[in-house]
Amino acid sequence: MATAETGVQAASPGTGEAAVRVRDLTVVYATARGELPAVAHVDLDLPAGQITGIVGESGSGKSTLALALLNAVQRPGRILSGSVQVAGVGDVVTLGRRALRQARGGKIGYVFQASQSSLNPLKTVGKQLLDLGRSHDVADLRQLIREAKGLAEEMGLDPVRALGSYQHQLSGGMRQRVGIIFALVLNAHVLVLDEPTTALDMLSQALVLGIVRRVHRERGLTTVIITHDIGVVAELADRLAVMYAGRIVEEGRTEEVLASPLHPYTAGLIAAIPRIVGDPNRSRPLSGRPPDLTTVPPRGCPFRERCPVAMDVCEVEDPALVEVPGGRRVACHARGRGVAVR
Amino acid sequence: MVAVDPLVPEARPRLPRTGFWSGAGRVVLRKPSRIFGLAVIVFFALMAIVGPFLYPKNLPIDPNAIYAPPSLAHPLGTDFEGTDVLALIVTGARYVLYSAAVAAVVTVVVGTGVGLLAGYYRGIRDSALMRVTDLFLTVPGFPLLIVLSTIWNFGAAPAMGLVLGLTGWGGLARAVRSQTLSLRERGFLEAARGLGLSTPHIVIKQILPNVAPYVAMNLLLSVTGAIYAEVGLFFLGVVPFKANNWGVMLNLAVFSGGAITSQNALIYLLSPLVAILLLTLGIVLFLDAMDELFNPRLREG
Amino acid sequence: MGLVKTFPGRGGLLGHEPVRALRGVDFSIPAGGAVSFIGESGCGKTTLGKILTGLESYDGGTLAIDGQDVRRLPAGRRRAAFRRIQMVHQDPYAALNPTRTVAQTLSDPLRMRARELSRDQSWIDGRSEDLLRMVGLDPGFVLPRYPHMLSGGQRQRLVIARALTVDPDMLVADEAVSMIDVSLRLGILGLLRELRRELGIALLFITHDVATARYIGQDGDLYVIYRGRVVEHGPTDVVIERPVHPYTQCLLSAIPVMRGLEDAGPERVMPVSDEMAEETPCLFAPRCPFATERCRTEVPPLSHSGGTPQEHACFYPVPRRVVPVDRPVTQVGAGPRG
Repeated sequence: MATAETGVQAASPGTGEAAVRVRDLTVVYATARGELPAVAHVDLDLPAGQITGIVGESGSGKSTLALALLNAVQRPGRILSGSVQVAGVGDVVTLGRRALRQARGGKIGYVFQASQSSLNPLKTVGKQLLDLGRSHDVADLRQLIREAKGLAEEMGLDPVRALGSYQHQLSGGMRQRVGIIFALVLNAHVLVLDEPTTALDMLSQALVLGIVRRVHRERGLTTVIITHDIGVVAELADRLAVMYAGRIVEEGRTEEVLASPLHPYTAGLIAAIPRIVGDPNRSRPLSGRPPDLTTVPPRGCPFRERCPVAMDVCEVEDPALVEVPGGRRVACHARGRGVAVR
Repeated sequence: MVAVDPLVPEARPRLPRTGFWSGAGRVVLRKPSRIFGLAVIVFFALMAIVGPFLYPKNLPIDPNAIYAPPSLAHPLGTDFEGTDVLALIVTGARYVLYSAAVAAVVTVVVGTGVGLLAGYYRGIRDSALMRVTDLFLTVPGFPLLIVLSTIWNFGAAPAMGLVLGLTGWGGLARAVRSQTLSLRERGFLEAARGLGLSTPHIVIKQILPNVAPYVAMNLLLSVTGAIYAEVGLFFLGVVPFKANNWGVMLNLAVFSGGAITSQNALIYLLSPLVAILLLTLGIVLFLDAMDELFNPRLREG
Repeated sequence: MGLVKTFPGRGGLLGHEPVRALRGVDFSIPAGGAVSFIGESGCGKTTLGKILTGLESYDGGTLAIDGQDVRRLPAGRRRAAFRRIQMVHQDPYAALNPTRTVAQTLSDPLRMRARELSRDQSWIDGRSEDLLRMVGLDPGFVLPRYPHMLSGGQRQRLVIARALTVDPDMLVADEAVSMIDVSLRLGILGLLRELRRELGIALLFITHDVATARYIGQDGDLYVIYRGRVVEHGPTDVVIERPVHPYTQCLLSAIPVMRGLEDAGPERVMPVSDEMAEETPCLFAPRCPFATERCRTEVPPLSHSGGTPQEHACFYPVPRRVVPVDRPVTQVGAGPRG
């Protein structure tokens, strides 16, 4: 299961300051067959001031990775090893419970899936903001509310109405924006959005993504968007990290990853999306189906069964994520051996 | 060409074990508490079936051993007539369990049937059925039983069970109806209607298995409910004693034996109580298997 | 034979007052054709699917299947008519009875069919296997299994196989792939296309995702629905490439650009608000960047005004190029695609 020793130094990715630095992170879940890794030896830098999209299908480990960024993996899961260095906080994996609570919200804001509501249905948004402030020992609650109103305005919400509303009075897109207010009101500088537009309509999705982009820019945030739909981040993200079977299989600048994917999974995923332009028949389905925790092969490349360019070596050796020229990283044997991915 | 979802050999999970009984066996064996619960239920059921054959029709009286303490000859001592208490428990089980089983079956059959039909048909038939249900729900069962006992002879266990069942199905009917209503909007029932499948098929083959865990749980719970109710009636002495049963024992222990004030009849009093508690415990422990028993995913899981 | 058609009428729904799911929708679906309904949740597209499959009644207008007004048919023939239109549900988890195996799921309707056609059990078994193969499932593998043992994609294929048991003339697919993993979606969409081509089954594809609608029915018609009303209707590619209704333009502008592969459409349009505001004669006026006083006083009829090839319900039909523009592939190492 370990990243195979290939002689190639595991790349330390990215250039410039990283706001979050994930190293060799492994998160396991207890199952009937013992503890199985949902996230396996992930190395990832979230460059400060950039939007990183983490793309993966069900069972890829993307949501577990997002939770691990806050050391918030719930049982039966746990972080087995590795570190998550957050600028100004330290390694959240080793942080004490109190410090961790301060970091969540205070330094790292988390916005839950759009399809599930994280709001208390019995309290107004404003009351819940005050609760948040009190639990973080905010001295000036008036200032907190002013801050929240400012954020609401920034996102095109009527501040008085938004704070006076109950959850059921808000549309899906509005709830997502309220979620962002909660994530940012304590001046977090890292924003993690888990499936921010799932279950939202096209127009609401575009609106929410537009707001994320604006808030990200105006506040100089470091933003992570977790999604199963490459389309959601194709326009917005500066960088893309593609996950498969708990591993990052490809990472790089969005335009480059989309235009010339290096990993056959990325290539297949992009090709499998029906496009609004050009000949629709150029879209091709990806064979097989994504593995889950229990069906990831114990040895070799987890993608090999669906891979059009699989070789013998893929049966036995899990390819390491290595840096390739141009500041990109990919975990594929074919790449190293000059086999065209598509 | 139709794209085939390739099924790689490794992706094939173990062959499904779809037999209900083998699955049921696994569900029970999964927790020791369930094995115990089932064992207790089976034990009492056997006692009810076989017990009366083990003893003479009229249990012997021994005037020399009134309220005798436990001994080899009388493991649970004797009663006010010197009759073996164990023999009373064993022979008394039949009436209690027989009537409770009848009560539970009546409750479940009527309650489930009314609930399914009301929920599936909705509209006017639903309203009519639910008004009848409300009527039964508002009639207080226990006082009604006392009234009925003055005009009806409860010497026969099925008669007692029938009355208990007919007064107790209302709650189940309401619950099954609301479950049916919510199932009705599920995709698979819309599909069944869209395919033109017959109503009996939809109700019996599609809806019923989905409310089965709930119904089975209620079946077991109404057994305990019925036991409490009938034992209570006999204990209060409001129904004539025609046959030996646990309720009669309690009544005699308290009102004739003075078990409250004297030590003598204590074991005589405790024996039927412990029997009832043990049976209830068995049922409650077995209850938690119901969900897994009727849900294929949990059953095979 | 085989013709499924709904004739133009004044459809209108729905029962209890405040929710007006459909406000007079006219459309027709030719036998073997493909029609897509595009709209957001709450626009009435799901209600429409339910009406077409007989699961929901309607309280205005007419619905004709094969040229016959279903309301005038006797109950038995009406059921038979509705049975020719089968639904593929959005949620493949809720659409299958968790207590029935795959074999039972298929043999339930097949037994009914066998009675009608005077066939025996062996026909049922054979047909089950044929249908499973047709949708790309391995009968030996899936038949004894319960739905929970199948993946989302496999379940959706099974849902399609079940719909085929009654030899329908049309499938209504309501967001049929939105709950399926991205890499598996195209397989399901391809299957639907295949069924249309090989069995001549008409498709009504209901979705909010224009790109999948285009993949399914590029040669068919596209209806854009807003709050229970058709606002634009025409050949799929015409509507996508030269949309004239501002709502259609907003929807198409909302499609994210695949950076590196596409460039943004030059005339993207954003709605001025995302709230479902008060009802104005033109329902989109409160959110429309181009609305005028006329839109708030007069209902724009569905017409070809302005000489557009498609029908639209806007007083100011201006075609705008809003969808992303394909960027020619120039990357080294990225071979020819397609």
